Amino acid sequence: MTDSPPPPSPEDGARPESVSAAEEPVGSPAAWRRAFRRPGAWIGLVWLGVVAAAAVFAPFLASSHPWYFELADGTASSPLLEHLSPADVAVPGCLLVVAAAVWFLRRRARWALAAAGVALVVLGSVVFVRPPQITVYDQYRRALADGSAVAARYTLIPYSPSDRFRDRPELRHPLPPDADHWLGTSRRGADLLSRMLHASRVAMAVGFIATGISLVLGVVVGGLMGYFVGVVDLIGMRLVEVFSAIPVFFLLLTFVAFFPRNLYLMMVIIGVTGWVGYARFVRAEFFKLRAMDFVQAARACGLPLRSVLLRHMLPNAIAPVLVAASFGVPSAILYEATLSFLGLGLVDEPSWGQMLSQATGAGGGFYWWIAAFPGLAIFLTVFGFNLLGEALRDAVDPKS
Amino acid sequence: MLAYSIRRVLLMIPTLIGVTAVVFFIMAWSPGGIGGSEAVAGGEMEGRSQLAQQQYLNERYGLDAPLVVQYGRWLNRVSPVGFASGSGGKVQWDQPRLLKWPDLGESLAKRRPVIDLYAEALPVTLLLNVLTSPVTFVLSVWAGIVMARRRGGAADVGLGSAFLGLWSLPQIWVGVLLLGYLASSEYLKWFPTGGLSSTRADEWAFLPSFGEGGAWNRGWLMDRAWHLVLPVLCLAYADFAFLSKLMRSSVLENYTADFVRTARAKGLREKVVLYQHVLRNSLLPLITVSAGVIPALIGGSVIIESIFSIPGMGKLTIDGIFARDRELVLAGALVSGVLGLFFILVADLAYAVADPRVSYD
Repeated sequence: MTDSPPPPSPEDGARPESVSAAEEPVGSPAAWRRAFRRPGAWIGLVWLGVVAAAAVFAPFLASSHPWYFELADGTASSPLLEHLSPADVAVPGCLLVVAAAVWFLRRRARWALAAAGVALVVLGSVVFVRPPQITVYDQYRRALADGSAVAARYTLIPYSPSDRFRDRPELRHPLPPDADHWLGTSRRGADLLSRMLHASRVAMAVGFIATGISLVLGVVVGGLMGYFVGVVDLIGMRLVEVFSAIPVFFLLLTFVAFFPRNLYLMMVIIGVTGWVGYARFVRAEFFKLRAMDFVQAARACGLPLRSVLLRHMLPNAIAPVLVAASFGVPSAILYEATLSFLGLGLVDEPSWGQMLSQATGAGGGFYWWIAAFPGLAIFLTVFGFNLLGEALRDAVDPKS
Repeated sequence: MLAYSIRRVLLMIPTLIGVTAVVFFIMAWSPGGIGGSEAVAGGEMEGRSQLAQQQYLNERYGLDAPLVVQYGRWLNRVSPVGFASGSGGKVQWDQPRLLKWPDLGESLAKRRPVIDLYAEALPVTLLLNVLTSPVTFVLSVWAGIVMARRRGGAADVGLGSAFLGLWSLPQIWVGVLLLGYLASSEYLKWFPTGGLSSTRADEWAFLPSFGEGGAWNRGWLMDRAWHLVLPVLCLAYADFAFLSKLMRSSVLENYTADFVRTARAKGLREKVVLYQHVLRNSLLPLITVSAGVIPALIGGSVIIESIFSIPGMGKLTIDGIFARDRELVLAGALVSGVLGLFFILVADLAYAVADPRVSYD
């Protein structure tokens, strides 16, 4: 490390003294602060913020449904709001609730209230949000053309990801970028930028949820192996070995090809194939920790197993695992993109990988904009996560 | 060391059974089951011939047996110690065999012995990897040393960011861009769009030559090399970036070690310190990592092989998976499992040979 060790922060005193005093506790606030001294971490974070915002607000940024629509007889409506799906409402709603809880409430109650609020928002949006079953994108353009509507106000990008211009056959083929379609159109004539914005939701959701699943699996299996050495460890290690002996991508292909195409299933599959690394990590950490004095003391005090494992050991083992997870998210995003590229992704949802596969076709021909922009989006997102992960790793791991 | 190796090899057996069992039961329990596409292919036939096809498949591959029995029969066939197998893989309990050649069976979809299919595909994938790995390793050792020597300088920071970027570049994107700009008819047409040889390369001489009438012919070898440029490039860059970063931290770790200070204090020249003391010790982590990189290359070439339509292991595996071909998929799991475990063992042993401080006895 080029930096001299920072002065101990007040929080350090709260930790058990037996975590060797010479070595700064892994994951202390000072370490996190040091990670963000690097410009790379900020660049990564800013780009990821942009992608996350695009993912959350995609329907409000790119939609063929006008947010204000006025018929000739004076009735006004908002087709954009009517066509929102439960997920479109629930995700921004939940973020709002959590942000409000963190901002306004005192420390004690806020997490419980935030959880209750999130549950309420999810339940409400599932029950009350009912988008129309059939979506007709060209009805507004037709209505404007024949005079039955007088006004329509659109979002920033007035095209939905699957609006393929049924009313205008002359547009139903790939067009290079122009003033109408800023990044060009896809093979079947849909707006590429709109598709990319909506695809960021799939990428982010798969990245985070799949990594979350592998993290939970890895922590549980690895923690149990590291704490109950012996038979549990032997069996667990065989399980770990089985999953690490099969190349991840082969296992992934086998799972994905044999089961129905579904976003949630894909998250589970990518999660289930990727937990081995975390399990090894946590096992090694728990091995070290279980011999330490503060854990011995906790056990000698007769604390229940739950408390020893979750309150005393896990917080001391989690920082390096979280760093590993920040590299796990981009690899999950890459897996999703690659599977979609190979034609094993979701069927009707836009995805960066699926778009990329449309750039070159059997009929020859190469549409550079279809190759360049979705590929760039994958690259920048993966790069952003890796920059962030590297900064965190260097801050947390004193060796490098 | 011998006892240790034998124990490790014996421990591979339960792992390999686990690997193939996971893959078999994923396939068997999925909607459609084993041989799904073969059974569906009968959908356009008349009832009687569909029935005949089903009967044929059942008799030949034992598809009507319970799943556990099917899996047990498959294990018996690939195990070097076991019983002879009859039609449909039935275990013939009265004919024990002490040592037999593992039988990978016959592909359901391609109607050919799996071992033949692998004999065709494996050399292709190995060729790709044999071309890629040594160059990658040598270049990354060099790049790692360059970065470590200029630690904190412009070259180190610049190369470090560049390698992180290179490592983040998705293979699918690089493949598509290379194909689109360097091989498509719309832009530069420097390279072929796919495959391993030109259509008539079989008839050409091995080396480049001027044929009759002085017509230039690039020959089989040049043609093959020309086809391999883009796939090898695409396969190499990510590992190059990853290994270079690893090498940098490994060299740095050794630079501050006591034995290096001793070497300097003895008055050794910087070159001797670097190449004889630091470098040799810094290569050790590469051994461990290469155990993971080499099998991953074979798995990772799935993407390259499907972008550049190269008929290697990856392509074969994907075909098998799409056809729900029990024999091909299980053989794929077995082969990649054996390769993976074997390379890990080799790496562990090589580590003990290279570093006298490590011992397994």
